[in-house]
Amino acid sequence: MLQYAAIVLIMLGLYGLLTQRNIIKIIISLNILEIGLNLFIVSVGFVTDGLAPIFTSINNSNHLLFVDPLPQALVLTAIVIGVGTTALGLALAKKIYQKYGTFEIDEMGEE
Amino acid sequence: MSAILLIVVPLLAAFVSILFKKASSYILLIVSFASVVTLNYVPLEVINIGGFTAPYGINLVLDNYSLIGLYIVDSMFFLVIALNCIKFKKLSTILLVSLAGLNGLLLTGDLFNLFVFLEVSGIAAYLITTTNKKPLATFNYLVAGTVGSSLYLFGLIILYGMFGTLNMADMANEIAISGVSANALAFPFLLMFIGLGVEAKLLPFNSWAKGILLSANKLTGPMIASVYAGATLFVFGRILTTLFIYSDQLVLVLSVILIVGIIAGETMAFSSKKIRGVLLYSSIAQASLIVMLFVLGITGWATMMIIVNIVSKFIMFSIASHTNDVLGTDEIEDVQGMFLNNKTIGVAFTVAALNISGLPLFFGFIVKMNMLTDLFAKDGYFLAAVILITSVIEGIYYMRLILKLWFTDKIAPKIKFEFSFQYVVTILAVLLIVFGLYASPVIALNDEVEDTIVYEGGIQ
Repeated sequence: MLQYAAIVLIMLGLYGLLTQRNIIKIIISLNILEIGLNLFIVSVGFVTDGLAPIFTSINNSNHLLFVDPLPQALVLTAIVIGVGTTALGLALAKKIYQKYGTFEIDEMGEE
Repeated sequence: MSAILLIVVPLLAAFVSILFKKASSYILLIVSFASVVTLNYVPLEVINIGGFTAPYGINLVLDNYSLIGLYIVDSMFFLVIALNCIKFKKLSTILLVSLAGLNGLLLTGDLFNLFVFLEVSGIAAYLITTTNKKPLATFNYLVAGTVGSSLYLFGLIILYGMFGTLNMADMANEIAISGVSANALAFPFLLMFIGLGVEAKLLPFNSWAKGILLSANKLTGPMIASVYAGATLFVFGRILTTLFIYSDQLVLVLSVILIVGIIAGETMAFSSKKIRGVLLYSSIAQASLIVMLFVLGITGWATMMIIVNIVSKFIMFSIASHTNDVLGTDEIEDVQGMFLNNKTIGVAFTVAALNISGLPLFFGFIVKMNMLTDLFAKDGYFLAAVILITSVIEGIYYMRLILKLWFTDKIAPKIKFEFSFQYVVTILAVLLIVFGLYASPVIALNDEVEDTIVYEGGIQ
């Protein structure tokens, strides 16, 4: 079920990227796409009734049902990268605003 | 020495260069030269990082294929740096990060690791292109690049969900053992193809390239069009031959995309009025051609074709961007006869252009001829016909360009090229002729690549 929600978010992000002509809205769409993707990655490792993948004094056997920890590690990396690109995108948005005085791509008079 | 140094040292140097800002351009120069030299001392091996073997840990693969890639990309990177590091002092740290990213791209044997390096080198590339002073074009590049790598990530996660591994060779094994039909895998493969296609400038995904490369300066032109494009194509080759298995539909979809890319690229180059425009559209066509060769399993000559492209595009893009930096224009009509005052540069440009259009005496001819022979042996008559026809178009527009740049009835523009720059492009042009006349090492190299790269996928 979570997968469907994630795919809906990814599609929403793509729709935003294709239709929006405002720099800030494009960055927001990009983030929605990334969040959808991250949710999808986490959902791949989900196991019904699974435990958090941490060995403790109580949960200390390999026979217990853990969720897959690898997708969580991947998501962590993907989030960091996503934040990096968003920050860079916003820095560029600031530069664009300084140059053209607007966030609307159509009003900039460039291709 | 271990190949992991090729990634670690530039990253470490990037941090150090922040502390020693004044020396940063020298650090960059030394590190980029050192990574070319290091390649002579690294043994061919698979390195398991932290001692964890394949499916559990990340590994780096240094075989003949990645070694050739590293040699050519790192040497070109060094040349670009050597010619520009003083002028673009502020970018030293970013360029060091991009060197680490590019080396990582070529070395890694892990799909997720590849995504990370794709983003690392990508973010460095966005920052490098800010020197064009066109923030909107850079923003478009950033959006296209991020969406591309997100799609790649999407594809690889679907594959992870199916096979439970991220290692390329291991996943190829799992796919072979599991007996999953090629049709079921077409969707994730297509997503990954699109993701990498954005960086490689394949046709429908390359809207960013125009904004970046048509206003490229002396650093961004050769860096993005030659070094980055080459590295991405090497990655493409690795993934297409090691991992992909092709269903009929997937081959059909990819062939249509790529052949349309070749034809449209050459046509747009034909009608382009700027030198950089001609070069940009011609490299779009070449990239499609190279990927098509990888899809058909002609790995060795596709690799050689990448080398032809990297070297020629380096020479031509450097000259075109420098012309634009000096004269403020690179419209062919405005710079007519520019080689009359710069004969050395003119000869180098001419050699590079003839090399890429595949005329005899040049390295490009050997590659194109053998590639066509292989294609005929595999019954790829249609693609061979496309290549021959587009080669004619290519020949015409490059000839027209060269003639216009050599002859004029007006006063020829004077452009000053530094001596070091003339020296570098001349040496490269001479190398293109030498390997065109003396082909046996090229053919030996080709055989080595074909033997090395794992043929789990690819049409055999």
